[in-house]
Amino acid sequence: MSETTYPAGDTVTADHREPEIPVPPKRRRPRRRAGWWPFIVPAFILVAGFFTVPFLLNIRFAFTDWSGYSDVISFNGLDNFRSLIDQGILWQSIKVTLLYAVLAMLVQNAFSLSMALVLQRSDRINGFFRSFFFLPVLIAPVAAGYIWGAILAPHGPLNNFISLFSPGFDYAWLGHGTSALICLSFIDAWKWSGLVTLVYIAGLNSVPQPLIEAATIDGANPWQRFWRIRFPLLAPALTFTVVTTMLGAINAFDLVQATTRGGPGTATNVLNIAMFNQYGSGFFGSASSLNLVVTILVIVLGLPLITYLRRREVEA
Amino acid sequence: MSAATKARRRTAARVTVLSLISLPWVVLPLWLLLVNSAKPLDEASLLQLGLPKTWALWDNYATVIDQGNYLQALLNSLLVVVPTIAVVVVLAAMAAWAYARSRSMTAKLAYNVTVLSIVLPPAILPTIYELQTLQLDGTRLGYFLVMAGTRMGTVVFLATGFIKTVPRDLEEAASIDGAGRVQIFVRIIFPLVVPVLLVGSVILIISTWNEFFFAQFLLHGSDTATLPLALFQFASASADQAVLNWNLIFAHVVLTSLPIVLVYLFVQRRIIPGLSAGALKG
Repeated sequence: MSETTYPAGDTVTADHREPEIPVPPKRRRPRRRAGWWPFIVPAFILVAGFFTVPFLLNIRFAFTDWSGYSDVISFNGLDNFRSLIDQGILWQSIKVTLLYAVLAMLVQNAFSLSMALVLQRSDRINGFFRSFFFLPVLIAPVAAGYIWGAILAPHGPLNNFISLFSPGFDYAWLGHGTSALICLSFIDAWKWSGLVTLVYIAGLNSVPQPLIEAATIDGANPWQRFWRIRFPLLAPALTFTVVTTMLGAINAFDLVQATTRGGPGTATNVLNIAMFNQYGSGFFGSASSLNLVVTILVIVLGLPLITYLRRREVEA
Repeated sequence: MSAATKARRRTAARVTVLSLISLPWVVLPLWLLLVNSAKPLDEASLLQLGLPKTWALWDNYATVIDQGNYLQALLNSLLVVVPTIAVVVVLAAMAAWAYARSRSMTAKLAYNVTVLSIVLPPAILPTIYELQTLQLDGTRLGYFLVMAGTRMGTVVFLATGFIKTVPRDLEEAASIDGAGRVQIFVRIIFPLVVPVLLVGSVILIISTWNEFFFAQFLLHGSDTATLPLALFQFASASADQAVLNWNLIFAHVVLTSLPIVLVYLFVQRRIIPGLSAGALKG
């Protein structure tokens, strides 16, 4: 590659001021050499500088004793991981994260796919409800956490409703380990399903209509038509939503921080919350280690999931 | 005749089902939020769905604006979100055109690195380290750069996929007529990708306006806090008390969400079809 560097600070506005009539002798050579790079470099510098470089640095920081208590950062091997295991943080938070990711993925996809089937046809009524169900997507996860924290409170509206049938019901939904994790995955589904539903609708509408008509003529009932034809052909949409919802849930942070902060006990202590706590205590190296664990989980789960689901696409 | 009544009955059934789902799913949560943000504390802490017996609408919102750091946070959010969208949309469109047309292996590598940034989780501590080195830690500029860098991939990906489906004829014709790359980009490519960039901007608005994870690590203190962070700091400040200030928290939630909901109401007709078409390009 030629070493034609393009000034990164040069913005498009500068480019706009190109002379209207090209002046061949002046621009001949450098222009040829520059090729596509002036178009790529500005965007790439931002990605590389603020995503890729930190990402690579983290692989190193995860094995150092970087902390808020010393100015020296030195390599300490697996010490961070050992101490995280000794404190009972590592395995617990991996377990909670995985459980949460699977729950959130299942709830979100089951709900969104059902909604997509109801809202598939594009008419005025469905258009209205699609926009309406999209509203929670706009609300910040932190805000969603407070809204649902109130709804699920021991004396909140949900328990008030249940009390109509079972008077005095005051279960603390977010105060018990198992129900807290399940509730969090429902809130996550509430927040995102408006968007996931749209992806499923697009997928359903890409199924060729003649195929469904042919099956109807051959006597397939709606249930068969769905499972035998539409569902297999939904594979691309399914790949997209299953992977994004699952990987999104592995990165969970906002919602947990606004509701349980990892509690009760460590029941909802997902990796990112554990990382934030390490960071808050000044153990930056250990925080990096937990960040690396999130990365590994995403790669270990994401790649096979994508490969598996893609293979199903080809068969379909 | 009977087919028409059947269709009408089916529509009525569908509207009923959808209304029944939307009642607990969307209507009641938002109603709870709005109605309790207008109640005085003792009434709001009962978390009931009835209308306020005593209205404290003005008091609550004034308190939030006064003590919840709202105006500063609104300004901070705008100062981050608006430049992020402008910069990402323009730079991503440029890069996407190059990635879609260039056959160079280095460009392919750069594209793959960019796309990986969508899937892989960001590394937060080295980001802090880097911003400290650049003396940008805790500043809006640093936060903006991180937002742009971590959000760029999605828009590049969407736009590259789109440009690849566009035939090169127009560009070649313009090139023969003597147009330079910059001219071709400004006059032909950019207008073509605008619909995709709109979808991209929607994704960007939703993900940056509500961003909290990076904000909590990168923006310390209240001077630079964006809205979600200000909301969290405000709610946490009252968390130590015996009774949560639900009325004020709700008022803050309403004020934090209001700008993005207003934008949504304006562009909603374009967003929903755009998103359902664009989201599948993966």
